[in-house]
Amino acid sequence: MARFIVRRVIAAVPVLLGLSVLLFIFVRLLPGGPASAILGQHATPQRIADVNEALGLTRPLYVQYFEYIGRLLHGDFGSSYVDGTKVVDVFLLRFPSTIELTMGALFFAIGLGIPLGRIAARHSNGLIDGIVTVISLFGISIPVFVLGYTLAFFFGVQLHWLPTFGLADPTLGVPAVTNFPIIDGALASLQGGTTAPFVDAIAHVILPSIALGSIPLAVVTRITRAAVIEVSNEDYVRTARAKGLTEKRVDNRHIMRNAWLPVTTVIGLEAGALLAGAVLTETVFNINGVGSWVVDSIRNHDYVVVQSLVLIFAVIFMVVNLIVDIGYAFLNPRIRYS
Amino acid sequence: MTATAATLAATPRTSRGLWGDALRRLMRNGPALVGLFFIAVFVMGAILAPILSPYDPTVGKLADGYQSPSLAHLMGTDQQGRDEFTRVLYGARISLSVGVVAVLFGLIGGTIVGSIAGGAGGKLDGLLMRFVDVMLAVPGLLLAIVLVSWLGHGELQIMLAVGISYSPMFARLLRGSLLALRESDYVIAARSMGASPVRILVRHMMPNALTPLIVQATLFAATAIIDVAGLGFLGLGPGDPRIAEWGEMLTDASSYLQNYPYLIFFPGAAIVISAIGFNLLGDGLREALDPRLKR
Amino acid sequence: MHLLSVSDLVVRFRTHDGTVHAVNGVSFDLDEGETLGLVGESGCGKSVTNLAVMRLLPRPAGHIERGSAVFEGQDLFEIDESAMRDIRGKDIAMIFQDPMTSLNPVLRIEEQMVETIRAHRKVSTKDARERAIELLGMVGIPQPEKRLRDYPHQFSGGMRQRVMIAMALALEPKLLIADEPTTALDVTIQAQVLELLSRLAAERNTAVILITHDLGVVAGMTRRVNVMYAGFVVETAATSDLFARPLHPYTIGLLHSMPRLDAEEGEPLVPIEGVPPDLRQAPVGCPFAPRCAWAIDRCWADMPALGAMDGVVAIETTGANPTHRVACWNVPTPDEARLAHPDRPGFHAAPAPTVAEIAR
Repeated sequence: MARFIVRRVIAAVPVLLGLSVLLFIFVRLLPGGPASAILGQHATPQRIADVNEALGLTRPLYVQYFEYIGRLLHGDFGSSYVDGTKVVDVFLLRFPSTIELTMGALFFAIGLGIPLGRIAARHSNGLIDGIVTVISLFGISIPVFVLGYTLAFFFGVQLHWLPTFGLADPTLGVPAVTNFPIIDGALASLQGGTTAPFVDAIAHVILPSIALGSIPLAVVTRITRAAVIEVSNEDYVRTARAKGLTEKRVDNRHIMRNAWLPVTTVIGLEAGALLAGAVLTETVFNINGVGSWVVDSIRNHDYVVVQSLVLIFAVIFMVVNLIVDIGYAFLNPRIRYS
Repeated sequence: MTATAATLAATPRTSRGLWGDALRRLMRNGPALVGLFFIAVFVMGAILAPILSPYDPTVGKLADGYQSPSLAHLMGTDQQGRDEFTRVLYGARISLSVGVVAVLFGLIGGTIVGSIAGGAGGKLDGLLMRFVDVMLAVPGLLLAIVLVSWLGHGELQIMLAVGISYSPMFARLLRGSLLALRESDYVIAARSMGASPVRILVRHMMPNALTPLIVQATLFAATAIIDVAGLGFLGLGPGDPRIAEWGEMLTDASSYLQNYPYLIFFPGAAIVISAIGFNLLGDGLREALDPRLKR
Repeated sequence: MHLLSVSDLVVRFRTHDGTVHAVNGVSFDLDEGETLGLVGESGCGKSVTNLAVMRLLPRPAGHIERGSAVFEGQDLFEIDESAMRDIRGKDIAMIFQDPMTSLNPVLRIEEQMVETIRAHRKVSTKDARERAIELLGMVGIPQPEKRLRDYPHQFSGGMRQRVMIAMALALEPKLLIADEPTTALDVTIQAQVLELLSRLAAERNTAVILITHDLGVVAGMTRRVNVMYAGFVVETAATSDLFARPLHPYTIGLLHSMPRLDAEEGEPLVPIEGVPPDLRQAPVGCPFAPRCAWAIDRCWADMPALGAMDGVVAIETTGANPTHRVACWNVPTPDEARLAHPDRPGFHAAPAPTVAEIAR
């Protein structure tokens, strides 16, 4: 297993190097270059030259690239051209919200998608199956932002059941310890002896998680249904029944244990959709995560930040996929013992 | 019996037979026809927009603003007094054309890269696929977001950005099918009978490798409509105030969610229904083109 | 009383392409410790018959139209699901064709064996594990304690089938149904597995139903044979009788399409012409008539019942001397059986009736 992980990490290196080159070129090729991105379109040539000199952009490209890589390896992702803040600092501040949001969405997608898929498979081609099929069709066809606003309107504006702004209520004055709103809320609840901060944090994450989780939900539902139907026809399921096992054990142990394999693969594929969807969800629900930061940075032409964030997103995506693959190998002995 | 069915399905047939069969199956597939109907409605609406609506999609009277749906304004009016129905109709022009052309760009780019990689193999294959890996490392819409921020605003830029962001998926899919087909019995048979590599690629492999590509392209059309609207929503749309675009309409409307939810509802519904249309058609095509899936 | 009495079993499948008439009135009896072969080409209903007895027909398509399967005095088709579950694995066990796909690939052999034992006996996991080790040793798997921790893909095909046999015999069942147990195995392994199966069954006095398309397998393994065609039992006899004096044209065809080393000089290898009938049509007449060289007009209209030859008074369905019975209107003579075609001057197989004749 260790060898498997090492091999995967080594395989990721050229991909990340390639991406860093592309991103490096991307910033260089910006209309007018980074300087005019900083100074705006009406900067004088003299000012631009000064800034280029100050940023070290006059030296040979390959020197600049290796310096850039050197800084990256030291954990220096650069600083914003716009406000001078270090990318790493802001990232650590914002990333917990994005994790919380995507985990919430994943929880929603898996927690609901697998039971829905199982029910649909059990009643395949019946009425319930039809309803589930229509739900999942809507799930993959509705954009995050449309669903987000629809949920915000009904559950926030109309019913006042759930908050639709941010991941925590700032008026509660919860101290930022971990920057994970739910964990901070839980800590504040423990210290203050009131459940309010924790409940508040949970309430805030519900609607964004549903909005972001709708596509993975639909995909997980579909694949679970298909996998359960396929596995149910396998010879070993017939064997399990012929041994006199209860239907429950046949379902949980023999069918689901195998159906989890394709579901796991799909969850890995959907991790990318979740990360990209976080960009939209955080915009809809005004969440100060990494996703909304990407959008802000692009609007502000803050390309150093964009460059670093894209690279970070790629690394996260790879790490998630590695975790999923390890999970898959764990579930599938044919991979584990080969 | 299953073995014979699989053999039959894998046997190359003349294009007409395959496509004729597929079309027949598609026309018997209820959900696919519903999808086709949805798409047709939007295409007609987009084409006939000037006839269907007397209003101008870009200029309204401020005095007419914020009207709820009525007979005069089927979907109400927006903050600038523009007729929402008219804007949804004109928005279909952008969404459908940009979405479909973006997928075509992606399909063309992916087919070129994928067929070279899958056809040539060896070092070139390795190099191209590493490049595809690099692009796939940036998750989904994020790649399109970065590309459009680089290419600049405009319809063509969006088409290119979304198209490029889909092309690695097409390339990988095509390469995968080509590699599988290369090992198939009938290609080995054709090779053993001395057919030229180009002829094998074009006559024997491509027709079979294209079917999953076509299915994927149709499904991606749904994703493209959603992604194009997403770019518009993030303020990376065509950026032309004279153009009505569903995503930008939603951004504008989001400020008025509390009082004028219908401004979100109609463009939102337009995106959802057109995406459902392409998803249903794509699923139908998949079933029609792959007889092994027949229940 | 017989251990198992199947009578007039009718099984149909409802599919998108119409109703499949898979089993059309099958009856047979089986005594304790007896071995019965079910022979026929694929799709003849031999597997379906046994899945029906186990109530494991594929759902929702397959269903038992009528008939009964009385096992130890109770009709398996009448008892409730939990009672049936108690019988499965404990009183009636099954072994399937492909050991590659019949064992769950993601569960250790240990779990698959232990769960079987614990589904029917209130024993601790530890005791069940001990029993599993003992069973693996019994079927000849070396280092059973170590192999218990392995997954199916770590075993060879023959070893996997041994595991299946161990699992099937775990609860000392009274009846073992083996559905093509060696078809997927290498020829060299087949004999080993068959020998193991028959030895263990004999030691325990376990009755065996052996399903196979291979008459050669039946010859060495079973005392009695049912030949099935298109959902009917067309001939039943003691195995030795069947080989010595096949009565049904289909059985004759089967025997002649099987290459034999001991074939006499000039004895032809004759394939059975034509294809099996489309089971989506409700059966009319004898299903073998379209392929039969002995067909007479009556064959196209009525299906003959399974009956003894003239002169037999009492019919024995089981035991040491079962009655040789056949379902045929025009039984070939022993000479014809050797030649594999009719030997009567001027005789031609009756052609299928025209639509007008059927209408009349």
